[in-house]
Amino acid sequence: MIEISGHNIIIALTIHYVDEPMLLKVRFHGRGGHGVKTASRILGEAAFNEGLYAQDSPIYGAERRGAPVAAFTRISDEEILERGFIFDPDIVVVMDETLLNDWSAKPLDGLKPGGIAFVNTTANSQLYDYGETIRENLVIYDLTGLALKIIGKPIISTPSAAAASKITGIISESSLIDAVTSELSEIGVGDDVIENNIILAREVFRSIPETPPSTKLSDSKRELIPLEVVISYPGYEDIVSVGNSPLRKTGNWRVFKPIVDFSRCTACGVCFVYCPDAAITLRSDGKPEIDYDNCKGCLICYRECPPRAISIEREVRVW
Amino acid sequence: MSETRFKTLRDTPLEDYLTPGSPLCAGCGGQLGLRIFHKVLGRNVVFVNAAGCLTLMFVYPYAPLRSSWMYTAFASAPAGAQGIRDALDILLAKHRIEPDEDLKVVVVTGDGAAYDIGLQATSGAIQRGLDFYYFVYDNEAYGNTGFQWSSATPVGSSTTTTPSSRFSPAGSLAEKKDLFEIWRAHKPPYVATVSVAHAVDMMRKIERSMGMRGPKLFIALAPCPTGWGFDPSEAIRIAKLAVETGVWPLKEAINGETRHTYIPRALRPVEEYLKTQARFAHLFKPKKQQEIINMIQERVNEYWLRVAEAEGITIKLATEVK
Ligand code: SF4
Ligand code: SF4
Ligand code: SF4
Repeated sequence: MIEISGHNIIIALTIHYVDEPMLLKVRFHGRGGHGVKTASRILGEAAFNEGLYAQDSPIYGAERRGAPVAAFTRISDEEILERGFIFDPDIVVVMDETLLNDWSAKPLDGLKPGGIAFVNTTANSQLYDYGETIRENLVIYDLTGLALKIIGKPIISTPSAAAASKITGIISESSLIDAVTSELSEIGVGDDVIENNIILAREVFRSIPETPPSTKLSDSKRELIPLEVVISYPGYEDIVSVGNSPLRKTGNWRVFKPIVDFSRCTACGVCFVYCPDAAITLRSDGKPEIDYDNCKGCLICYRECPPRAISIEREVRVW
Repeated sequence: MSETRFKTLRDTPLEDYLTPGSPLCAGCGGQLGLRIFHKVLGRNVVFVNAAGCLTLMFVYPYAPLRSSWMYTAFASAPAGAQGIRDALDILLAKHRIEPDEDLKVVVVTGDGAAYDIGLQATSGAIQRGLDFYYFVYDNEAYGNTGFQWSSATPVGSSTTTTPSSRFSPAGSLAEKKDLFEIWRAHKPPYVATVSVAHAVDMMRKIERSMGMRGPKLFIALAPCPTGWGFDPSEAIRIAKLAVETGVWPLKEAINGETRHTYIPRALRPVEEYLKTQARFAHLFKPKKQQEIINMIQERVNEYWLRVAEAEGITIKLATEVK
């Protein structure tokens, strides 16, 4: 079945309810700063509000904002004895599509047959060339676009939790909204921002179809789903070379892309001096060249350019 | 003042020794400081680092610098620098390396190591006259572990360990430790405060110190979008406001003699700076804590009145002094 409505496209859904004791495992993947941990907490609390058992935990690497992070939520109608990382999720929520071919994140790793992959993306089904490689059911939606529209910031904890809640098929809108309110107030978010997050949560919850995964407990043996997208691992040559960080390609962190209008640029060099990541070099005419493979989109250059020769554009996908 | 290579921003060296793609936050002021510092010092540098955000620049298998980097325990970066300096001196003495292969030994740490955990090792190194540079990126808290209070945290800042609460609505009430004065009291050849938003001032200071032997120490105010709570694009504006409001004075001390290198024509009210960051948001919402803001303003006023007297300059304060 393919259904296209507004931003959301659902491909090949099969709906089965699980007949055995339920243990639903949801894994969130995003980047530091997206609100990954909060997303997993909201989902857990929403399930708890439904009278279910829930458990959630995040995992961070040693890196900073922008680096891949994951969080886990387990939901069950019985006490949950399993602990630790989730290697065999029923649902994965990919909060940043560029993580799909990041070797250090591998978000689809271990997704159970019959499980659901949710991907936050602006792409439509034609552009979506991961479609064939994700063998499982895929739900896509532009959470970042909606978050920018409603709360003005690319923080997507609430809409990711809303998407996951709806996909499970066992969480009601009111349980979700209660969870959003209490989790966000707990971390000190102001009332006006919570209001907007509620609008955002409702919008996502209503737009995304209920698509419970058809996995069963008996399927829960760990299986790796081969990813056909090209993941480039660093090789020996890369590892021993000096200053090899451009291979990390932090360009995927961007939400907005700075674009130089060379007809207005006066070659003053301000953007070059203030780029914290040395992602700008000066050409022989003194005008900047941005390394889009690695520009993180901090937008200092955009803010500081004296003649305002730099504009910004929403980044869709770097690779 | 002697001739300088650095008259305007256009004199910024084109060569970069920092490579793009580090794992630090977008808009990190500390990393920008390190980038500029390295540009002026040139290629032949070895960094000695103690735990902090910049430690994470080196997460296997990637390295974002074209120079060398050694990581030490939290308290001992200056001791590590001593070891490297001694080894280089021995190699030089034995003609195992040529003078042009010599390296500048640079300690780089955050405020946690500089103000708290590594202070005694630094004191020892300065006292021994170790020939090294120390670059502190001061983001006024333990940013790496989630923004806990450090002795560099200013009055009125909330951190995860000094949140604004019913018992302490202002957040932290402890005075920010005056590391410049602590270092200066050791009478090293060079101590300076710098700001990433005043790159020319910063480059000149580094240049000036390069002709000196012994400890050369720099404290950079490092805007931290993640910990301070502002949009990364604002990093330079906020660093500028810190200087223009007088909160972050730019100064240097050569052999213990202090001189301010930039005197704002008229100081802007501190409120303009505080307002830009979530770590001070509780001073404005839900109820404005005017007494705390006034207190911060008064400290700034007192500081600059003392400077005006000591250096014989006139300064226009942001508010009337009673
Ligand atoms: S957006 Fe930030 S990282 Fe990208 S080029 Fe501009 S200053 Fe550099
Ligand atoms: S800051 Fe603006 S005008 Fe100056 S070099 Fe960069 S793009 Fe050109
Ligand atoms: S937490 Fe602050 S100091 Fe640390 S990397 Fe991020 S912006 Fe830089």
